[in-house]
Amino acid sequence: MITPTDKELKLIDKASAEFAKKELAPKRAENDQFPFGPFFEPVLGKAFALDFFHTVLPESIGGMGQGICALSVILRNLCREDSSLGGIVFTNAAAQILMLAAEAGDTLSEITGKAGSVRDFLIAFPVFNNPSEIAPAAVAKKRSDGYKIDGRVDYVVLGGLAAHALIPARIEGVDGFSFFLIDPADSGASVSPPIHSLGLNACPAVDLALSAVRGTLVGAPGQGAAIFDTMTDRLSVAEAAMSAGVMKGSFQEALEYAKARQQGGREIIGWSGLRMILANMAVHLKNAEMIITRAGQAVDAEESGWQACSRAAAIHVQAVACDVTTDGIQVLGGVGYMKDFGQEKRYRDAKHLQALLGMAPMKKLRFIEKITT
Amino acid sequence: MISRKETKAYANQPPRFDDMICSLPAAPKIPKAMVKETRKVVALARKFNQEVVRPRALELDRRMHEDPDYLPWDMVETINDWGLYTLWIPKVFGGKGYNMPSMCYFIEEIASACLSIANLIGVHYLGVCTLTSTWNMRLINHICREVTLGEKNHTPCLITLAITEPGAGTDVEETDLIGKGNITCHAEKVAGGYRLNGSKIFISNGHVSTWHMVVAYSDLKKPADTTVVLAVKNGTPGFSFGRKEHKLGQKACPASELIFRDCFVPDEFVCLDPSQVTASQRPPREIAMQMIDYVVSATRAGVGAFATGAARGAFEAALNFASTTVVAGKPLINHEWAQCRLAEMYKNVTLSRLTYVETNYANGLHGAFRELQKKPMYYYYKFMPAKFFDKIMPPLMNKPFMTRLSRKVQMDGQTDDEMHRTSGWASLSKFGATDLGVKNCQMALEMMGQNGLRHDRGAEKILRDAKLLQIYEGTNQLNRLNLFKCLIAVDCPQATVFDE
Ligand SMILES: Cc1cc2nc3c(=O)[nH]c(=O)nc-3n(C[C@H](O)[C@H](O)[C@H](O)COP(=O)(O)OP(=O)(O)OC[C@H]3O[C@@H](n4cnc5c(N)ncnc54)[C@H](O)[C@@H]3O)c2cc1C
Repeated sequence: MITPTDKELKLIDKASAEFAKKELAPKRAENDQFPFGPFFEPVLGKAFALDFFHTVLPESIGGMGQGICALSVILRNLCREDSSLGGIVFTNAAAQILMLAAEAGDTLSEITGKAGSVRDFLIAFPVFNNPSEIAPAAVAKKRSDGYKIDGRVDYVVLGGLAAHALIPARIEGVDGFSFFLIDPADSGASVSPPIHSLGLNACPAVDLALSAVRGTLVGAPGQGAAIFDTMTDRLSVAEAAMSAGVMKGSFQEALEYAKARQQGGREIIGWSGLRMILANMAVHLKNAEMIITRAGQAVDAEESGWQACSRAAAIHVQAVACDVTTDGIQVLGGVGYMKDFGQEKRYRDAKHLQALLGMAPMKKLRFIEKITT
Repeated sequence: MISRKETKAYANQPPRFDDMICSLPAAPKIPKAMVKETRKVVALARKFNQEVVRPRALELDRRMHEDPDYLPWDMVETINDWGLYTLWIPKVFGGKGYNMPSMCYFIEEIASACLSIANLIGVHYLGVCTLTSTWNMRLINHICREVTLGEKNHTPCLITLAITEPGAGTDVEETDLIGKGNITCHAEKVAGGYRLNGSKIFISNGHVSTWHMVVAYSDLKKPADTTVVLAVKNGTPGFSFGRKEHKLGQKACPASELIFRDCFVPDEFVCLDPSQVTASQRPPREIAMQMIDYVVSATRAGVGAFATGAARGAFEAALNFASTTVVAGKPLINHEWAQCRLAEMYKNVTLSRLTYVETNYANGLHGAFRELQKKPMYYYYKFMPAKFFDKIMPPLMNKPFMTRLSRKVQMDGQTDDEMHRTSGWASLSKFGATDLGVKNCQMALEMMGQNGLRHDRGAEKILRDAKLLQIYEGTNQLNRLNLFKCLIAVDCPQATVFDE
């Protein structure tokens, strides 16, 4: 929920907004230099201490037991200032929700319960691919002592960071794909350097090459697609919240600049052509917030058709965020293209976020399939 | 059926026939050899792409991520050694004299492989074009021959246009706005020249260029009436480079700050000032706008070509991905939705191209290329040996009557209608093609999923590079307003522009 109504959510809203302003905003450009600059480890530690990574974990396994509304509020606030930390929180939440959907709560509890540090707690996950779209290139073989996995997994987010990775692989002789938990430090796993990417630079991803790496099956064999789908139903609205946060940051910076910058003898906001661009941005933002608020409520209350609400919110808001952030640069003119302002980063991040959980057009096709079958 | 008088009257109703279509009247006038020449230029661009651009574009971009202050001298030298900085300098000034419209096709090719390297080449011609639009034959000859010499000596000599100031970007592009703007670059008239103070920002290729066409004003209270164009060379006392911007994309093409502190520019390097055009039919204010229009009518078509290249690069990346990737069990290229999307992207490329092509037909009929494209002139330049131009022409170019003559022909010889037509079409190409270019990048990334996000796959770079096209050479909003002014408002007597 973007506009929090109950007391607990208001507290979460306040804490996450303050954290983002204090810890993320001042070093946005510096943190964005990763992998060519240092990683913002201390910020990650502070986010961990504030339990951002525990939001959707059930209380029974040491989590906050919050729903998607709480996660959405946190992600919106983080992404308004800098989406990279939002990407880390989201990826970890996706892995957690997927494991819960796969009824692997015990395995998850073992990870979260034992974790002495944030790296131990985090689970890497290739969160930008739906394995039903681009099939896994890793194959698991059942041996007497468990599964051994060979092959490749591309673009594993948090791969060089987290002590665990949740990856898709085909099981030899079994239709479909399955999920496995692996240890990236396994002697058979080789981890690439962080991949240089469009956006979310401080939310690193790596390619994994696996050779007889031990894997723990998560969920039933061949049931990966169904588990991924369940996770997507829940988390889509949270994806939308991230994009809304980016939009909000872009609109605010554009508005402030338009009030201060003069051209043609007046503040540029005084030209109705420019005001129209700002108006379009504001309308998109308002609509996005309303959609997410409503969709979040539907998901948490499991109202009839909540899955469709969640997915439609993501598809729409992610696309609109790309347009809004493009205009967000445009309002600033030349300086919008420069690293001195946050707009160029938001333009990259919005496009990056649109690829979460799969290809944008395929998400649409799956949506129509879901509501018509 | 219809009389001559009626034909004229009906054809002049808006949209005027002459504004609607430039290619039809232009086509029969085009020298046939231009086609062959253009084909050769496109082939050269493809060869350069294969041998230089594609192998180095991503590596160069990555290098600039790692070290944003790195200057791509090696690439500039390679471009210089390939002879690309003199291809479109007329033979009479020592260049290779390829026909001007062919530059856009060339730029499209290079931009489809790397927008940033295309900019390293193309922006030099923005400087050349500014210089030539002053029609100061002595200085054009002097500076262009330095470029040619730089090619022979393997020491690149590039030219920039420096017009944007910290407080005035949109304002300096339009004489109706400049008077209200916060203009600070002052060229004070002093004995024997001008004393220049102020700074210019975002100047493409600044740090790797030798000459800078600086647009400044001798009276900051009346800038539109007192515009001067000064040629400032590196090393001139009082001139220095300031910061080099850290940008979203187009990283190989530096955007530089130029700083002038009591920088004395002698009369011999004044390309244009009001005292030089007292004999003109137009007042200095209109000459300044005409000069800007001559430049941007050519260079905004160039931005259209950059954008077509961006749209094409994005299309080619998406097509390659679709051809080599299995999605949901079958090749992506065999999904019907993907075929529709690729067709849409192809359409965007083609429509973008048509806008710059049509704009250049307008420039050939009524703008900067008019004289050079007349058949006798074209063939004379094409077939006369370079030696003739190198020996006979330079002393002639130093004669003041040459500048007077060319200004008479080019400045007085262009009607307001012709100016509006070229400028309006150029704006249409600029914002039309660049919006489609960015659109195609967005579409490509959507189709490519996580592969579109990775630097090593190339597509994300195009999205970053392409965004600049909507900003420089006047923002797309300014260009919309300029189209309105040039092609719509002329038939709406009640319309005023930049005056709401
Ligand atoms: C990488 C880069 C390279 C460049 N290269 C060069 C170069 O080689 N040489 C050079 O001289 N310049 C160059 N420029 C400058 C470029 O041309 C300007 O950035 C551009 O003209 C916009 O000016 P501005 O940045 O000052 O924006 P502003 O003029 O401040 O505009 C800010 C916003 O206000 C809007 N706006 C302004 N006035 C109006 C109005 N009257 N009505 C409605 N909206 C309005 C604009 O459209 C924009 O959205 C470059 C810029 C960049 C970013």
